Amino acid sequence: MYRHVFALQQVARRTITSSARRERNRVPEKQKLFQEDNGLPVHLKGGATDALLYRATMGLTVFGENQSLLSLPLTS
Amino acid sequence: MAHQAHPYHMVDPSPWPLTGAVAALLMTSGLAIWFHFHSTILMLLGTVLLVLTICQWWRDVVREGTFQGHHTPPAQKGLRYGMILFITSEVLFFAGFFWAFYHSSLAPTPELGGFWPPAGITPLDPFEVPLLNTAVLLASGVTVTWAHHSIMEGDRKQAIHSLTLTILLGGYFTFLQALEYYEAPFTIADGVYGATFFVATGFHGLHVIIGSTFLAVCLHRQIRHHFTSTHHFGFEAAAWYWHFVDVVWLFLYISIYWWGS
Repeated sequence: MYRHVFALQQVARRTITSSARRERNRVPEKQKLFQEDNGLPVHLKGGATDALLYRATMGLTVFGENQSLLSLPLTS
Repeated sequence: MAHQAHPYHMVDPSPWPLTGAVAALLMTSGLAIWFHFHSTILMLLGTVLLVLTICQWWRDVVREGTFQGHHTPPAQKGLRYGMILFITSEVLFFAGFFWAFYHSSLAPTPELGGFWPPAGITPLDPFEVPLLNTAVLLASGVTVTWAHHSIMEGDRKQAIHSLTLTILLGGYFTFLQALEYYEAPFTIADGVYGATFFVATGFHGLHVIIGSTFLAVCLHRQIRHHFTSTHHFGFEAAAWYWHFVDVVWLFLYISIYWWGS
């Protein structure tokens, strides 16, 4: 039984580390992207997904702020 | 393009401090609304906003350091001071709960029976799961140090292995502690014993989860080649935090689990 556990352990370890080993170094590409002289602030410089996430977060912020202020009369 | 004539980091304008502040407002006012009006929507909205803020803010710090090169040695020194000050504030946070525990346990009141543990409380055996938990966290302290040396020596494979092991040990601790919480013969409502036990160990458990998450982010970054053998402060900060969590546990174990039984 312990042989099976040991074998499973080996397979799991090799799967994790082989996929980790295969990961090539993409940092130079990221450095090029984020050092591009396009005037964008860092929180929007990654691409379209950044803008989407920012808008969603800011939307929730404004909505939440309104909800909080509206619930203030309730608490008096 | 203008270049700075100093080594300090002048950050781009960022929306995350504002969204984080609103998240804190929503979580706290939401908590009050939940208590009095049984509605959790505001509190949940605040939590979602907090998670969004945390992810994007720290994503930006990684971009500024690893991709834009803003973390020069003087800037890194500032980050080190910051992490040390933060951990110090957390030490003081826990000191309060230890104060509460010793206040009640050194001079047990007549209502408790005049002794500690109080009448009616069956404390957990410190030499069962709590001792295993101690071994698990001490071992994780060894594995995180192994990970650090691996990173410094440029050994990618061992760094990934030892960091993964550290996170697994943290997960194992959390799992064991959850089982203990479920099986415990006393609750948080059981007088000052229950209150001090669950608040102190509960906040510690939360810090284990936070520390494990921080280490998991470091593992992700290590796999993606973010760390070099000479520049890996994000990992060092996570390792410092992890050692702090381990030391808090040792104090909890000695004071509450062992002496307190």
